[in-house]
Amino acid sequence: MPYSRHQGLVTFAFLAPAIILLVAVLIWPVLDLVGRSFQDPGGPFVLYARLLEVPIYLRVLARTLLFSVATSLVCLVLGYPVAYALARARPLARAIILVCILLPFWTNLLVRTYGWILILNPQGIVNTVLLQLGIISAPLDIVYNFLGALIGMSQIMLPYLILPVYSVMVKLDPQLANAARTLGAGPVRTFVSIYFPLTLPGVMAGLLLVFTISLGFFVIPAILGGSGGLLLAQLIEFNVNTSLNWGMASALSTTLLAATLLLYMIGDRWLNLGAIWGLRR
Amino acid sequence: MADETAFSLNKREFLTGMVAAGAAAMVPAAAFGADDRLVFANYGGSWEQAMRKAWMDPFTKETGIQVVSASGNTLGRMQAMVEAGKVEWDLVEGTPDLASVGIQKGLLEPLDFKVIDRSLMLDRPEFRSDYMVPGVILGRLLVVNQKLGPVPPEWPSLFDVARFPGKRAFWTKADSGLLEIALMADGVPADKLYPLDLPRAFKKLDTIKKDILWFETVTQSEQFMRDGQAVMGLLADGRAYNVKNSGGPVEILPEASILLWSVLVVPKGAPNKQAAMRFLSYIYTVKAQTAIAMEYNYGPIMQKAIDQLPPERVALISGGPSTKGKGVFLNSAWWNENLERVTEQFLNWRLG
Repeated sequence: MPYSRHQGLVTFAFLAPAIILLVAVLIWPVLDLVGRSFQDPGGPFVLYARLLEVPIYLRVLARTLLFSVATSLVCLVLGYPVAYALARARPLARAIILVCILLPFWTNLLVRTYGWILILNPQGIVNTVLLQLGIISAPLDIVYNFLGALIGMSQIMLPYLILPVYSVMVKLDPQLANAARTLGAGPVRTFVSIYFPLTLPGVMAGLLLVFTISLGFFVIPAILGGSGGLLLAQLIEFNVNTSLNWGMASALSTTLLAATLLLYMIGDRWLNLGAIWGLRR
Repeated sequence: MADETAFSLNKREFLTGMVAAGAAAMVPAAAFGADDRLVFANYGGSWEQAMRKAWMDPFTKETGIQVVSASGNTLGRMQAMVEAGKVEWDLVEGTPDLASVGIQKGLLEPLDFKVIDRSLMLDRPEFRSDYMVPGVILGRLLVVNQKLGPVPPEWPSLFDVARFPGKRAFWTKADSGLLEIALMADGVPADKLYPLDLPRAFKKLDTIKKDILWFETVTQSEQFMRDGQAVMGLLADGRAYNVKNSGGPVEILPEASILLWSVLVVPKGAPNKQAAMRFLSYIYTVKAQTAIAMEYNYGPIMQKAIDQLPPERVALISGGPSTKGKGVFLNSAWWNENLERVTEQFLNWRLG
């Protein structure tokens, strides 16, 4: 069919610049990185053997995955209602909510991070208020640990969850919920059986975005997390900048990449992640 | 009109121009080094300003050689420049591994000690090398909050949580001096520290583990001490004085100092090598060493320069008489060989 072939060519022509750019700045460097991790003078698997032998690496990898999952879930719990409010709001209110979501997004990362220290530290706003109200008798440990890193990280990642969920919600036909109600379903049943499943593609896309970005995050866990925020990105940074062991940095990055892809494949199998991209229904 | 004709080349002119440009690009950069200027890659900031006032400007005045500062003075960049055969720096300041790794990988020019006089230099074996000279002495000092009252200026104080309760601020890096401090507090003599007994150090550190507040950046370390989140800490000298001078509630105890030094090296193939040698020869005079000590608290590398300083200045000098000879030098050669292995164990200990 000549028409269809022509259309295919046009599609390809439109995509070509993006594909060339992706190959040049993403795919090629990633392949180079993976290659480096097998090029230790001692043999191709020396670095991976060390990664398995020395306990710190797998421990930190596990912590990194756990941290990213926790961040994604916190964002879901906080972000889903916001996305719902956003989808239901009138235009003016919607604009105001959107600005509120995006304003921190445009603020410098370090400013936000140090802002959290002012709020969370033992003499910070939260602890001072709670102490003066007599709710607590000693300052809460809410910064320089896993919790502090999680709080800072969740705030930064929230827009990545809210926006995809919102984009699915606005397209939903409000009549569907009404139909469920007229057929006798209560509000909870309507939400659980009708509304939530329909927003699932947005939820999955949001979770995946937050999870993937969190995996490689450096600044916030390093500053807000203390020892609890020790994640793989910091080990990679050490190998790149301090010990100049780029082979080890590559091996760590490759391991993180492999773990991410593996998790994605599992998710695809069990949660039908492929549906997000419209690959199948 | 004139501009227009100047920029409209015909084809032949264009081609000739291209050939000329190509030929120029093929001539090695060194050929352009007229030694009437030199590029000095250093740490920048207020330290660069101090060096400019004490060293660079007087040197230019005396010799006519301009000194241009460059930033990004890392080992990685120096290696990339030397390997690419396109060296832009004539002199590089850095941590001792810049010299040890540089020598190992053949990235450095031997220094000309017929030009540079090091007879007055502090006599430490690690300062003697054909490829580097020490720059200045840097310290990491014990800083304590005033509300603790008088604190004995010695390492065991850091571990005395009963007498001095509160958080201790330490660097997240394994080679900050913390492991050495733990061993000394546990009774290891300063001259018997290396090779470090890691299990013993970690065991000692376990006793204050829950009282440690880790800082990732030096700015954080200042904040911790200034607002009292930490009551004790090991801070870089400049940062410690920043806190004190800006009214922070702290005392500095220089008798408890961990000492390091900076190195100065000339990368292989530096275009203005001779100018770099002359600059090094200039800063290795008593006059220049005294001048830098007046501008910045880093320790000069000559006892004669320290002798000429006013007493109130001497008190601030890292590694100077205020340490009462108790400052402990980090063994950079040992660290250079063991940094990766020790960092792995250190992080593993931190995760508990």
